Amino acid sequence: MNKLVMNFLVTEGYVEAAEKFRLESGTEPDIDLATITDRMAVKKAVQSGNVEDAIEKVNDLNPEILDTNPQLFFHLQQQRLIELIRNGKVEEALEFAQEELAPRGEENQGFLEELERTVALLAFEDVTNCPVGDLLDISQRLKTASEVNAAILTSQSHEKDPKLPSLLKMLIWAQNQLDEKATYPRINDLSTAALEDPAV
Amino acid sequence: MPTSATSNHPSRPEDLIGRLNSAHTPYEAKLKALRDLKNQIIGNRTKKLAFLKLGAVPSVVSILSSAAAAQGGGGDNREFYESVLIQSAAVIGSFACGLDAGVKAVLDAGAFPLLLSLISHLNEKVADAGARSLKLIYQSKRAPKYEFLQEKNMEFLLSLLNSKNENVTGLGANIITHSCQTTAEQQALSEAGVIKRLVGLLGGSINQKDASLESLAAMVKENPEVSAKFMGPENGRALNVVIELMKDKHPRTRLLACMCLISIRNTSTSYLQDSGIKNSLVSVLLELLDDPGPVGDEAPFVLSSLITEKEDMQKIAFNANLIEKLCEHLNAGSYQAKRLQGIFLLLGDLCSKLECCRDRVLDLQVLNFVTEALAHDSAEVRTAACNFLKNVSRSVKNLSAGQFMNEAVAVPLVRLLCDSSSSVQIAALGAISNIVVDFMAHKSVLVQCGGVKQLVQLSKSMESAIRVNAVWALRNLTFLVSYRCKEEILLELTSATLISLINDPEPSVQGQALALVRNLVDGTLNSINYVFGEDGAVLHAIARQLRSTSKVEVQIQGMYTLSNVASGNELHKEAVMNQLLPQAGNDAEKTLVKFLQSTDSRLCTATLWALINLTFPGSPGTCRRVTELRNAGIITQLKNMINDHCLDVKLRARMALGQLMIFGDSSS
Repeated sequence: MNKLVMNFLVTEGYVEAAEKFRLESGTEPDIDLATITDRMAVKKAVQSGNVEDAIEKVNDLNPEILDTNPQLFFHLQQQRLIELIRNGKVEEALEFAQEELAPRGEENQGFLEELERTVALLAFEDVTNCPVGDLLDISQRLKTASEVNAAILTSQSHEKDPKLPSLLKMLIWAQNQLDEKATYPRINDLSTAALEDPAV
Repeated sequence: MPTSATSNHPSRPEDLIGRLNSAHTPYEAKLKALRDLKNQIIGNRTKKLAFLKLGAVPSVVSILSSAAAAQGGGGDNREFYESVLIQSAAVIGSFACGLDAGVKAVLDAGAFPLLLSLISHLNEKVADAGARSLKLIYQSKRAPKYEFLQEKNMEFLLSLLNSKNENVTGLGANIITHSCQTTAEQQALSEAGVIKRLVGLLGGSINQKDASLESLAAMVKENPEVSAKFMGPENGRALNVVIELMKDKHPRTRLLACMCLISIRNTSTSYLQDSGIKNSLVSVLLELLDDPGPVGDEAPFVLSSLITEKEDMQKIAFNANLIEKLCEHLNAGSYQAKRLQGIFLLLGDLCSKLECCRDRVLDLQVLNFVTEALAHDSAEVRTAACNFLKNVSRSVKNLSAGQFMNEAVAVPLVRLLCDSSSSVQIAALGAISNIVVDFMAHKSVLVQCGGVKQLVQLSKSMESAIRVNAVWALRNLTFLVSYRCKEEILLELTSATLISLINDPEPSVQGQALALVRNLVDGTLNSINYVFGEDGAVLHAIARQLRSTSKVEVQIQGMYTLSNVASGNELHKEAVMNQLLPQAGNDAEKTLVKFLQSTDSRLCTATLWALINLTFPGSPGTCRRVTELRNAGIITQLKNMINDHCLDVKLRARMALGQLMIFGDSSS
């Protein structure tokens, strides 16, 4: 159980919590906590919209990641463009789109559709209310941040998803399956994990 | 690690290179320029190419070189020099990542030994940087060949594999995957205990598993001994581990596990033959075909290596609905050349032997996609499409139904006969050869689009592979074809070309040429007359070839040709007789006798047919010919053959003997 908790804290990047937990429970984390700090710095940079900074940090951490993940690299470049547009730097955005994004589309036809959507932002006066306005949402930053986080974890040969959610899903599934076949003490409230006896 | 000020405008490439090269630039600025360069090129193929043109690589390598030399001096600047080593190694690695031109530039600039020296550096980050970059170089075909057979090299390799550092072990594995090619090398690696170490890596991280699987596949490939050793007791349950990895979470690991197992399976037919594993391999690979990334691009080739030439595997794949899946992909419109090549490669494999596959493929209208594929930019796609056509047209049923002799297929195929790539030409010839065996004799489509002209042109090619396939196509084209068509073909071909083909240096071409003549003279008297013209030069050429060749295939075709000629009129029969049984000369020259004594039943049969036609009753000169043959001792020869174990020989010998006996009373 302790390992599951540690795994969750480490994967999601809660460094201080992981440190405290390690001291309190004696559970060893499966990766070096120092690397978590680096990874969290990257995630935070993306979440704050400092994409160029994030790219530099990723390249310091492991230069192979962006070289071997064309989709991730494209999404980071895409986010850079979005941030330039958000800050009203239209000239720079146009130049960036031409110099940095267009080549991605040439290198890989699969990116063309998303590229078009992103560049479409430049066509609208009122960007927040246009058809592709969702790109300006914070959720887009979070999506990109999550992608980078996963890539870093994978490069460190760590699972990119914590085990805990999957285990809970399996528990729910198993109980659903069992429901059809027998009556048994069931966990109905996941937060307490109390076993409730079946109704008579 | 020094932080950099975030700049919004990347430096112009020329300025950047200038700063790197200039002796006036302070060292700190050079470090910053290196980082800048690194951050510009990582992930950016376009920028890499641009910087390559500006000579970035030699500049960076020279900085690496001087830093490596300088930091030997130690002191306060150690940390600084180490940063330079790390950044320059990273830049070099990035240039080499997935870019052949980059790898070439890096090797030409002499980076290799420098990077090698970094691996043993005390600073783990420096060692990492060096190992990573070398690993990336070794993922390219251009990497220098590693000489395993030299003891020092083997020791070094083992030290790499035994390292605690994941990048270093990865490098070791990549070197094996890249350079292990000969049986001797596989043996040497096996004896040095490499297998055990690789098996150990199978329990490591994702990257270690992947690297190890690839290396193991390279080591066991076509080597039964190493294969057996891998599965031996000292390696524990290594095979089971690999089988388990077929169900790994990561698609690439699953793919590589399959590749490894297929390598073993194809090497030792006593392993991995049970139906459970066969079905697993097919279903895992089928699912991987759907992967949108590089794994999905590679999967068809791995699947092909599993089913090619193996009817049982093709059946399993067919039952697993592989054809339907491939059609889905075609319908979805795959633009990537590699994927398209893979799809047609698999379709070709499936149609190579099984009629049920060919039927299904045609039912699902796959031919609709072939026209485009035949005109694709990529030569590999064009070749794969041709090979697919060649295989699917092996279906006699569909061939006779005229499924292939239409403009959508024939026209682009004929166009490929003058393709710039000779492998495409050969593949197109193969497809045409089959398609022209059209029993309905609707061959005009091919003739109309200039097909004959092209084929004749190719029959004069410098490459023997092209010549033989072109003549083969012509041979099939003339099978049971109309007299008018024969006229057109011969007009284009000319007797002179025909004779030179009969005398071609390659026996395979000679054989096809003779078969072509055989088809040309098959049929009516007009056909025979037309081929031999005024001077019978072609006949001479055939007979001369028959006397000189030692290849039985050529002899057989030649004999059947003469046999066809001998079915003609008196003049024809006399001409053949003179060639086979010349008046002058010793017994050794008597081709007829020599061939009747052959151990090859097919040759005997062909010769007997000639004999039968020469002595067919009803022709004025038959009696005379029979006497000549008797004088040559043919009767005795035939009597030896009437109880031959081969039915064809037995029956024809009896028939010939019977005909000879009809005229037999006077002499005996």
